[in-house]
Amino acid sequence: MMRPGQAATAAIADELRQVLATATGRPELAATTLDTPLFGDGVALDSLTGTLLLRQVRQRFGVDVAAEDLNLDALATLGTLATFVCDRVVSDRVVSDRAVNRGA
Amino acid sequence: MSTSGLVKCVVWDLDNTLLRGTYLEALPDRPPADPALASLLAELGRRGIVHAIASRNPPEAAEYAAQATGCAFVAAECGWGRKSEALARIAAGLDIAVDALAFVDDDPYERAEVGAALPGVRVLSPEDAAEAVGWPEFSPAEVTEEGRRRAGLYQQRQRRQRAEQAFTGSREEFLRACQTQITIAAASPADVPRLRELSERTSQFNSAGQALSAASIQALIGVPAQDVMTVRLTDSYADDGLVGGCVIDRRHERVWTVPLLMMSCRAIGRGVIDSLLTWLAGRAAQRGAAAVQVPCPVTERSVPLRLALAAAGYRACPDQAAGHGRLVFRCDLGAPLPALPDWVTVPGEA
Repeated sequence: MMRPGQAATAAIADELRQVLATATGRPELAATTLDTPLFGDGVALDSLTGTLLLRQVRQRFGVDVAAEDLNLDALATLGTLATFVCDRVVSDRVVSDRAVNRGA
Repeated sequence: MSTSGLVKCVVWDLDNTLLRGTYLEALPDRPPADPALASLLAELGRRGIVHAIASRNPPEAAEYAAQATGCAFVAAECGWGRKSEALARIAAGLDIAVDALAFVDDDPYERAEVGAALPGVRVLSPEDAAEAVGWPEFSPAEVTEEGRRRAGLYQQRQRRQRAEQAFTGSREEFLRACQTQITIAAASPADVPRLRELSERTSQFNSAGQALSAASIQALIGVPAQDVMTVRLTDSYADDGLVGGCVIDRRHERVWTVPLLMMSCRAIGRGVIDSLLTWLAGRAAQRGAAAVQVPCPVTERSVPLRLALAAAGYRACPDQAAGHGRLVFRCDLGAPLPALPDWVTVPGEA
């Protein structure tokens, strides 16, 4: 059975696939697998497509990858990026849920 | 902001600013251009500063203003939204920092709105603008051939971008289809003014985080164990000329250092910085170096450069600060190195 975190990561990965396809102008990237490298032979991100991707990640999920990840290791594969984003989105949600519960 | 604080683009209001009157109210005769401001447009254009329009008018007003002033505007935002948002879109479209814009409008409300939303923009009344021609931020030290052709290059860039959006295929296939040619070569003294200009104007792609003087670039050319390299870019749309470069310090034979790596943001997405990094790694490995290191700022502005470094296999060395808020990024040359794409030529090398 899928854990809740896994389901969230899968949903984020799906959204990231769409972002990748749009940022690169390559519709086939909508089928990128989780273990596909984002640099080099896989998606071949460069400065431009990478910047577009990071901008979208910040706008959609509120996660500033470049500010938190000096070496941009999160961009190793689609899966690492989805996990990186999910970890932050979920922990933010837990914090805000707790705040709501305390307020109630 | 550009490294030096130079203005790269002036965004103009039309009604009662560039035009003497209100475009929509002056039917059937359109209002003429303000002659003093039209000549200011031309003078700033000669200095390599480009012009754009932000106007509360229909889009055809921009075409009329181009005709009336004789100026080739590189962007026009005509509509009824906030002007600060129009300026942000203009900067994003040109790939320049919002802080490299100036904004001229006769309406104090518009000036206040832009000034409050975008504090880095130089906000001027038309009267201020007439004087600004003498200010340092509008006065580059030297104007290069690339600078004089800049407005045309931005327009060709927009044609290229539209073609790329319509192109079905990868970025690499697009670069190939438009006959991209990148040439990497050692700098000659004739390249010094343009290299200095690039070091001053670049911000996203400037690893040094500060401008170099012409004298300091000149002093590096022909020095043993140091190289000043240039990158030129051309394709079927435009000859962009000298768009990038780097300084290589080979005094430590095993670990080469690149104190300056820079590229015009106009060249983003066209393989320039990636080709330069690929060439650099190949050259260093060939000459027996084990690593190449590039000190680079870690700021929001430097994200595109950090992406290029990460894509080329560079890793930050967090314990090695490099001054000017930079960290050393290092690439170990042990792994097999990628080949240069066939559109990159390096005269003098096989």
